[in-house]
Amino acid sequence: MNPVQTSVEFDDRTVRRFLIAMLFWGTIALLAGVLIAFQLHRWQLNGKEFGGGEGIEWLTFGRLRPVHTNAAIFAFVGNMMFAGIYYSTQRLCKVRMASDILSGIHFWGWQFIIVCAAVTLPLGLTRGKEYAELIWPINVLVAVVWVIFGLNFFLTLKRRNEPSLYVALWFYIATIITVAMLYIVNHLSIPTGWTHSYPLFGGVQDALIQWWYGHNAVAFFLTTPILGIMYYFMPKAAERPVYSYRLSIVHFWSLVFIYIWAGPHHLLNTALPYWLQMLGVLFSLMLWAPSWGGMLNGLLTLRGAWHKLRTDPVIKFFAAAVTFYGMATFEGPLLAIRSVNALSHYSDWTIGHVHSGTLGWNGFMAAGMTYWLVPRLWKTELARPGWANMHFWIGLVGILMYVAAMWISGITQGLMLNQLSDDGSLKYQFLDTLKAIRPLMLFRAIGGTLYLAGFVMMVINVWLSVRGREPVNGSIRVVVETPKKPPFWKAIFAEPVIFPALAITGYCLWFLLPGLYAWGGLVLGLDMSWRTVWLFVRHKRKWTAWYEGLLENWAPFSLLVLVAAAAGGMLQIIPTLTFNRAANVEDRLQIVPTPLELAGRDIYISEGCYGCHSQMVRTLAPEVLRYGDYSRLGESIFDYPFQWGSKRTGPDLAREAGKRNNTWHYQHLMDPRALSAGSNMPSYHWLDTQKTDLASLPRRVAVQLQLGVPYPAMTQDEIRQRAIEQGVGIAQDLRKNGLYVDPESRMVALIAYLQKLGLSEEVTPPERPMGAMVPITAQP
Amino acid sequence: MSPADPSQPDPPSGQPEKDRWPVLRDHVYDGIQEFDQPLPNWWLWTLYLAILWTLTVWFWEFQIARPLNLAKPDGQRVSEAVTEVKDRQAAHLTQVLSTLDDRRFWEMARNPEVTARGQTTYENICAACHAKDLSAMMGGAKLPGLPLNDAEWKYGGKPLDIFRTVTKGSPDPTKGMIAWEPQLGGVKVAEIVAYILSTHQPEADLTAK
Repeated sequence: MNPVQTSVEFDDRTVRRFLIAMLFWGTIALLAGVLIAFQLHRWQLNGKEFGGGEGIEWLTFGRLRPVHTNAAIFAFVGNMMFAGIYYSTQRLCKVRMASDILSGIHFWGWQFIIVCAAVTLPLGLTRGKEYAELIWPINVLVAVVWVIFGLNFFLTLKRRNEPSLYVALWFYIATIITVAMLYIVNHLSIPTGWTHSYPLFGGVQDALIQWWYGHNAVAFFLTTPILGIMYYFMPKAAERPVYSYRLSIVHFWSLVFIYIWAGPHHLLNTALPYWLQMLGVLFSLMLWAPSWGGMLNGLLTLRGAWHKLRTDPVIKFFAAAVTFYGMATFEGPLLAIRSVNALSHYSDWTIGHVHSGTLGWNGFMAAGMTYWLVPRLWKTELARPGWANMHFWIGLVGILMYVAAMWISGITQGLMLNQLSDDGSLKYQFLDTLKAIRPLMLFRAIGGTLYLAGFVMMVINVWLSVRGREPVNGSIRVVVETPKKPPFWKAIFAEPVIFPALAITGYCLWFLLPGLYAWGGLVLGLDMSWRTVWLFVRHKRKWTAWYEGLLENWAPFSLLVLVAAAAGGMLQIIPTLTFNRAANVEDRLQIVPTPLELAGRDIYISEGCYGCHSQMVRTLAPEVLRYGDYSRLGESIFDYPFQWGSKRTGPDLAREAGKRNNTWHYQHLMDPRALSAGSNMPSYHWLDTQKTDLASLPRRVAVQLQLGVPYPAMTQDEIRQRAIEQGVGIAQDLRKNGLYVDPESRMVALIAYLQKLGLSEEVTPPERPMGAMVPITAQP
Repeated sequence: MSPADPSQPDPPSGQPEKDRWPVLRDHVYDGIQEFDQPLPNWWLWTLYLAILWTLTVWFWEFQIARPLNLAKPDGQRVSEAVTEVKDRQAAHLTQVLSTLDDRRFWEMARNPEVTARGQTTYENICAACHAKDLSAMMGGAKLPGLPLNDAEWKYGGKPLDIFRTVTKGSPDPTKGMIAWEPQLGGVKVAEIVAYILSTHQPEADLTAK
């Protein structure tokens, strides 16, 4: 076929839409963040101060925190990523997006999802898993819209007029495939109604899957797409070639492969089996170099263009963003060391760490990209270049203030909590530590406010720039050629795939198998590693040519990405699903909650209590002294979803049962400061007047049974009856102290649940089945 | 020359690779070009060392230390550490108790320095459930604790009984107070008891029921 010359007009309208949506939702996400940051310093900002009595339920920290996190991740960075991907993919493929209809559905579908989230989360409709809080009908929408986005993207790749895939596209491919995998697995649930469901996995299994998802949401939603965007916009803005193509290859594949394994570092020193903790620690350490590869390739691309740093706000933002990326990915492996994590986990240090990533890396990349795109998408100039400069400095000071406050806060609190007096008693009460970090909470909120102010300057600047301007779509002339494609399987069954794959298989067998089999895996791993290196050195050119061929063949490339990204998760999750079940746990088994306690648990989740309270006593002496015996795997095995938590703004509740009487809990929930002077917990007075949803309780128990929670046989009436009886018992107990409470109120259900936390029975661990994992998981 | 062209022979080995860089790759993507720089050595070595470290640690942990019981599992390690601290607490408590009897408590109750310290701790911690004025009532509502300003002492009204109740908690923790000694230590508890006693007359109205 003869080459045909044709003209392509890009679909830049979708890019503009996503860009505007990003500016809008970014402002909302930051506003929500600033509000809840101030709430931690001054709880009355939950509505009490705007005339909302003792506080407004949908303005409390527990319900707004998921609004903030979901808005920041999915609304702000999501829309930013789509704008960047739609703009760059069309140009890198020299073709218009495959379907305007799919682009339209993607855009409006995504905005509809965000609106749904913004409505449901403050109402307390949640799945109770971090960054996966949205209720199941919205989950289905997200999955559908994501698949539509993927379809649109891959069809565009298929029709491209540029034979070779540029590195930015590799990162987009990794994003689309891996996010789909993570999202779907972590959102598997069984509905109990239109707005509520229980996740398919519980206890340690849920913990592992949640953090496989949570950690890699950071990796594949907040990192890989932004790296792709960096690879496109950085050389464009700097007008310099990318520093190193080889570095791109090595750091891309190592990043995609290693990142997935690091999830368990969110669960260090917990009841998670030791071998999984070790995988989390070691892979986090190995992740350092691949992450820095991205930073190096970004920063060194600026060689020869450093003078632009003084004048061009775009370069300024990009350079700072990539530097923050480097700092955050250096801090990450550090925090993943078990002894450091013992201090930092559950404290503000971790929160500071993620914010240096989101504010510094994501936020500044978004700003740089916006300032670069706006003049091109509307054929205009930035109305106020000085404001962009101001935005940079005010934002930078904001982040630094935020991160510094959180370092000091986290380390202070961690040290205080671990400190013992000479007589062996704990030196500080939890509340003492809270009072100590209170001023830092103010600094952090001010830092966030500065950052928000900078962002608003950008929004105004963009509005001033595009006001009255005509949107312009880019276009190019291309020569359409029929690409010659190497066959699919030939691209995959090649030395550079087979040998590393065999090496990795060997190591995986070594990780998993017991005794002598493990040695076999190790030998295979080492042997194949050696062969890989040897073949690479010998056939460098052949291997390079093979990779260039692969780059012209998007389907095998994507398949390899999928395999690389799926490996780590599968190796960790499948053994956990088969071996860490209720029938096969350590020496304690959780007592199944009664129907009322289950209802209370759902209220606990709905109010977002897990945002501030963990239920996990780690294997650390000060923690055992403060909260009681360390948590065992079996003690949360019937928790759908698990409630180990990730942050302690309040104390751990794993062993709350029986520590305090019902009167204490009632009065504490009504007015926390009456019993805990200096507490920043909001008042939960509305629980006193709202009724527990007893009607749906039988359905919830039925789903729990389906999931494998051994409830005794009960009819629907018996379930409700038992709940009411237990509630009456608690109400009567409260009445003895002159407190008149409706036995069917949510308050009573929540108290019932709190009085059950940590109750377990001693069981004799069964003989462990023979096979994989035996020598490893046998370690308590 | 593209270094990726397989038809080209390898460069003569005598020529150091360094001199040939940076090579700009031929392919241009939407105006973007790429150098083909070699990887920075320090970066490569960071990666290699991390991988080597992983293999070594895993080998040590799961091939040597655990099978040969050289390393303690987390549970055992923490239990031992906690036992050690608890022994220290117990020794301290014994020591504090050896200096204390009911008469000594009443002496402490008359020492304003001691009771002032006790009052501070009381108001920080105990007042939550027993109220600042020891009445266990606040604004007409009953607080979770028992009143400490009357003559009724559920778990014994002798100073040492009170001391024991605060250190060890109520016999049934689901109905009453937790043990405070692990949190506060013996001395602070003794000061609190002295403060409570200071609001009573010696032996007059402290009756066990």
